[in-house]
Amino acid sequence: MQMYTRRFKSIICCCLLLLGGCVEPYAPEVIEGPNHYLVVDGLINGNGITTVKLSRTQNISEESMPMAEMGATLLLEEEQGAQYPLHEAVPATYVSSSLNLDLTKKYRLYIRLSTGREYASEFVDVKQTPPIEKVGWEALDNSLQLYVSSRDPQKNTQYYRWEYEATWAYTAALNSNIKYDEATGTIVPRTRSDENIYNCWRTDYSTGIKLGSSAKLSEDVIHEYPILTLPAASEELRIKYSILVKQYALTQEAYQYWEALRKNTESIGTLFDPLPAQLTGNVHSLANPDEPVIGYVGASSVQEERLFVSREELPKEWRYFYPTCQMDSLMPAEGQTLADLAERFKYDAYMPVTEIYAPDGPPAPIGYMGAVKGCVDCRTRGTNVKPDFWE
Amino acid sequence: MTHLYRPILSLLVVLCCVAQGQAQQTEAAFISGNFKSATFEEFAREVEAQTNYQFYFDATAVDSLSITLQVKEQPLSNVLSQVFRNTDLQFAIDAAQRVFVTRGTQLSVSLPKNFFEPVENTGDSAPQVAANRLQGEEKEVKKAGSELKLYEIGVKREGATGKANLAGHLRDFKTGEPIIGAAVYIESPLIGTTSDQYGYYSLTLPVGRHELKVKAIGLQNTRRHIMLYSEGKLNIDIAEDVRTLKEVLVEAEKDKNVSGLQMGMEKLDIRTIKQVPTAFGETDILRVVLTLPGVKSVGEGSTGMNVRGGSTDQNLILFDDATIYNPSHLFGFFSAFNPDILKTVELYKSGIPAKYGGRLSSVLEVTSRDGNKKEFAGSGGIGLLTSRLTLEGPIQKDKTSFLIGGRSTYSDWLLKKLPNKSFNESSAGFYDINGHISHEINEKNTLYLNGYLSKDRFQLGADTLFRFSNQAASLKWKHIFQNKLYGVLTGVYSHYDYDVTSKKNPVNASRLTFGINQSNLQADFSYFPTSKHTVDFGASSILYNVNPGTLTPNSPESLIAPDRLQAERALESAIYASDRFDITRRFSVSVGLRYSFFNALGPRSVNTYAPGAPKTEGTIQDTAVYKSGDVFATYHGPEYRLSARLGLTDNSSVKLSFNRMRQYIHMLSNTTSMSPTDVWKLSDANIRPQVGDQLALGYYRNFRANTIEFSVEGYYKKMQDFLDYKSSATLVMNHHIETDVAGAEGKAYGVEVMLRKATGKMNGWVSYTYSRTLVRLDDAETGEKINNGEYYPSNFDKPHDFTLISNYRFSQRFSTSVNFTYSTGRPITLPLAKYTLGNSQRIYYSDRNAYRVPDYYRLDLALNIEGNHKIKKLAHSSWTLAVYNLTGRRNPYSIYFKAEEGRINGYKMSIFGQPIPTITYNFRF
Repeated sequence: MQMYTRRFKSIICCCLLLLGGCVEPYAPEVIEGPNHYLVVDGLINGNGITTVKLSRTQNISEESMPMAEMGATLLLEEEQGAQYPLHEAVPATYVSSSLNLDLTKKYRLYIRLSTGREYASEFVDVKQTPPIEKVGWEALDNSLQLYVSSRDPQKNTQYYRWEYEATWAYTAALNSNIKYDEATGTIVPRTRSDENIYNCWRTDYSTGIKLGSSAKLSEDVIHEYPILTLPAASEELRIKYSILVKQYALTQEAYQYWEALRKNTESIGTLFDPLPAQLTGNVHSLANPDEPVIGYVGASSVQEERLFVSREELPKEWRYFYPTCQMDSLMPAEGQTLADLAERFKYDAYMPVTEIYAPDGPPAPIGYMGAVKGCVDCRTRGTNVKPDFWE
Repeated sequence: MTHLYRPILSLLVVLCCVAQGQAQQTEAAFISGNFKSATFEEFAREVEAQTNYQFYFDATAVDSLSITLQVKEQPLSNVLSQVFRNTDLQFAIDAAQRVFVTRGTQLSVSLPKNFFEPVENTGDSAPQVAANRLQGEEKEVKKAGSELKLYEIGVKREGATGKANLAGHLRDFKTGEPIIGAAVYIESPLIGTTSDQYGYYSLTLPVGRHELKVKAIGLQNTRRHIMLYSEGKLNIDIAEDVRTLKEVLVEAEKDKNVSGLQMGMEKLDIRTIKQVPTAFGETDILRVVLTLPGVKSVGEGSTGMNVRGGSTDQNLILFDDATIYNPSHLFGFFSAFNPDILKTVELYKSGIPAKYGGRLSSVLEVTSRDGNKKEFAGSGGIGLLTSRLTLEGPIQKDKTSFLIGGRSTYSDWLLKKLPNKSFNESSAGFYDINGHISHEINEKNTLYLNGYLSKDRFQLGADTLFRFSNQAASLKWKHIFQNKLYGVLTGVYSHYDYDVTSKKNPVNASRLTFGINQSNLQADFSYFPTSKHTVDFGASSILYNVNPGTLTPNSPESLIAPDRLQAERALESAIYASDRFDITRRFSVSVGLRYSFFNALGPRSVNTYAPGAPKTEGTIQDTAVYKSGDVFATYHGPEYRLSARLGLTDNSSVKLSFNRMRQYIHMLSNTTSMSPTDVWKLSDANIRPQVGDQLALGYYRNFRANTIEFSVEGYYKKMQDFLDYKSSATLVMNHHIETDVAGAEGKAYGVEVMLRKATGKMNGWVSYTYSRTLVRLDDAETGEKINNGEYYPSNFDKPHDFTLISNYRFSQRFSTSVNFTYSTGRPITLPLAKYTLGNSQRIYYSDRNAYRVPDYYRLDLALNIEGNHKIKKLAHSSWTLAVYNLTGRRNPYSIYFKAEEGRINGYKMSIFGQPIPTITYNFRF
């Protein structure tokens, strides 16, 4: 429970003095359910690799990772036709080989758990996803609006879902030119052969459910659907930002499922928002149809589009993010040497940043500036390997 | 009038000169004669020839008279009594031996006692006015203003026996407005009635002399001495009791709690309502109604009422007979009714009269005042969010009056304060206008014209603009056929519409509109055959025209495909009759039957679904097309209305009622709170009407000379076929809405205990309610099952509810009000488990409404400061200082869990989480 409360620490309770309306973090009495239902997360990819993750539901108060469902047998089945096996690439994540499915046929996912229980999704049509017309951006007052536009001249799509992977370049707050040398136990300058711990890239995956529909339009067009808004002062926009948008076409039924899931978990709580509903999906236990199984396995092809936004393109007047960090100056106390100081950097958590010289003394350091690792080593939050798509 | 025997003016002059004299004073002149089919003129000449009497009469008034009479040495008064027997002609003889013959009202040949006295206006007793008409115009009704005078009613007959009917209107002396719910009675034998909504009363009394007493709280008790000869009329003007201006809490007959037949009815008078502190300092009738036992809502900031377990669309809200579809403003923080123009609010929870129908749970009848018929007046108020102004006055004195009221808001700044960013960029506002004209054509015919318009707009975030509007108009003609029978013909038009426009994204810019029109015509009659029976009967018809939704593009670039749902039309008709039979003084019953018919009308194409299978697009078997005016679905059925009262003692009684209601119009909503964009749907071939039965039993007892009322009422209610929605239902722009809704059944039961003190320095009420409301959704036709088809608590199931409304008057000018409310927290659906899907944690919910939010309690305080109580001053003003939610408790409105940045976070939202002080300045002139 303590962990649970800590989670809310960053959320500020914004209570009005005048109106007194208030939204506060809330942890309910512990609701414990004995059941851990099967969760099927994935979709059938019509022209590529199908990836399915199997897990279990867990109690709200549990902080651990969801229980993984390993050792299952998964088959992609064509209605009265071929079967394509999936193999467990990493634990509880099952992947197929790259497939090109027949768009005139229906497909389903068959699952047999290691316990022998059998599940299957309903047979669904494979939707052909039209290419993304454009991923674009617009600088608003003090934020960057990223949007996606799409179009299906055949008017067959109507229902769209998007996911994205955002990657951005960033630096550590402090650029360190020295390091602790384990071999000698001293502080030595960084050289070209040392890893770059100042420049990094980080990738995040979309978490929200992004849905669009052209069902009410006379043409099958999605015009500038806002997929993400970044504040001007976010770290993402400091140097260069890239987003890869993935587009999936949905059947009407799948759209309704995602829309209900979105309402259930994202758009809820205000006066006029809908009430939550019990929602499962289209996967059923073959033995016991009443057993709740969570997840909707749809089938479609995937279309992708990447966009880059660099700082130079953005408004000059914006106040951008600038990383700051606390540095400590470490000077030897009475009877201590610099080597004793270096001991402080022996453990990876605290790192040297730069040397301190006396204002008019000899060109030899008299101490070191130090900071916690997160301020110095950008790899704590990302990777210093430049992504291959990076321009 | 050309045939007036003597000019009327000279008559008046003569009259003014007459000394005090007795009517029918006779000289010892006797008359003999033999008249055979003689005209009155012949008769008069003969008498004038024999005696010194001189006749004054209108020839047209007597031309139908044919006199066949043999008299010998009879005094004139006896002869005239015989001549005028069984006519409505009256005569009066003054001291100068002049005989005045009039129709209807007997001419007074003397002036009232206080005619030459100055009119008092000390405030303690309001002035009385000489009421007898001296003008020559025909008057059938006595207008009784003096407590001392003896009023003779009807055609005088010597030695008459039996019973006769007395009827008339009670009016406010000062404003001429009708007085509703006043007790009119004689004490021996005890026969009484109460005035109806027009201030009309009708009593059948033994012929003879009586002291007629009139009592109404807030008005001076008054009495009239009457001599009842035969059927007649008596209008009574009553002065307001100035001293009790703010003392009055509930205007009702003092012992109605025990002696009235009606149960499950709450009547609030505007003065009560004004005492209850509200969040924004604005008097709000719906907030006060929500404090009554048996009335609940899902939370603050929602005007949707749930009466005895009914859903929010099951309340018939009538504003001057017009149905109001959305009784709220500004997300439900204000009610749609301007407090300054209101007179009373009546809420029927059970024992609903046969006159009303069309909704399952309750009738809320809001009545506006008639304007002041005597003089021009105004009132208004300035609050933190709204201001209002009302003007009223006579158009033609004593006959026609008008009342016009308006209210507007300046609420944008409030939204800037809301914690949500999307609210910060929002704007909102509303206004409403009321107009009311009442015109008395003559004593038998009165016309009432009402108009109402309200408009709301609010913009959420920078994009979507919502607007909604109520419009209503009603014209009512009341006609008195005779003392015992009157009828009211009412024509009503009401309209509700909303539109939602969005234009931020030019390609998706759209405008969604919804509208409902309703035209009613109804005739209601009240008949009082004897003192033991009151018969009400009538018929009504409602024509509905609904535009369930139209979607149009809202910009030149917009690609929105224009779409229009098929219009809905239907006719709902009903006939009803009920009889209240007072079998003995202690035992009375009311038996009523309403039979309602519903015809869904074309043009329309109607889907037929495979029988037995869930309704989905896939199970559509056939689509039938109906032409305009074709009836494609018909429902009808009886609605029983029974109530009975058994008096146990003079101070206690037991009442029982049963009623069945049918409802043909449904509101579709999948939000917790009643939202302005909810859709109203008529019953059709695929959606059956809702039917509800309620049985209620109550015990009533009054203490301390009827100043303290105690009641316990229990009820059990069953409802069928009210609409619930499926999970993931689309309720807007759905061409086959029947596939997304399901028929639910519900049951509700509870006990309401109330203790009320209506008068005195300390007044108010305390109520406690235990109630449950359960819903079951297991509809084979739609394939929808919630909670495995078991009963589950509805959104507003709050078993325990305690309310204290109190008012203490320190002095004439200072009073305080304290409110306290406690209730069990409402049920909510909480997450049972979490899981990861699509890179984010998601929630698997429990059974619907399996948990509850924490209990609710709130304390409010208000201080009213009146200006001085001089009757004559330019304007009366008062200040109201109030603190809403004094303890600042953060009562949770909802608890919800949201996936944010891939994680599940729980939140508790309260609407008024801090004490809210308000100050309001009210004035009237």
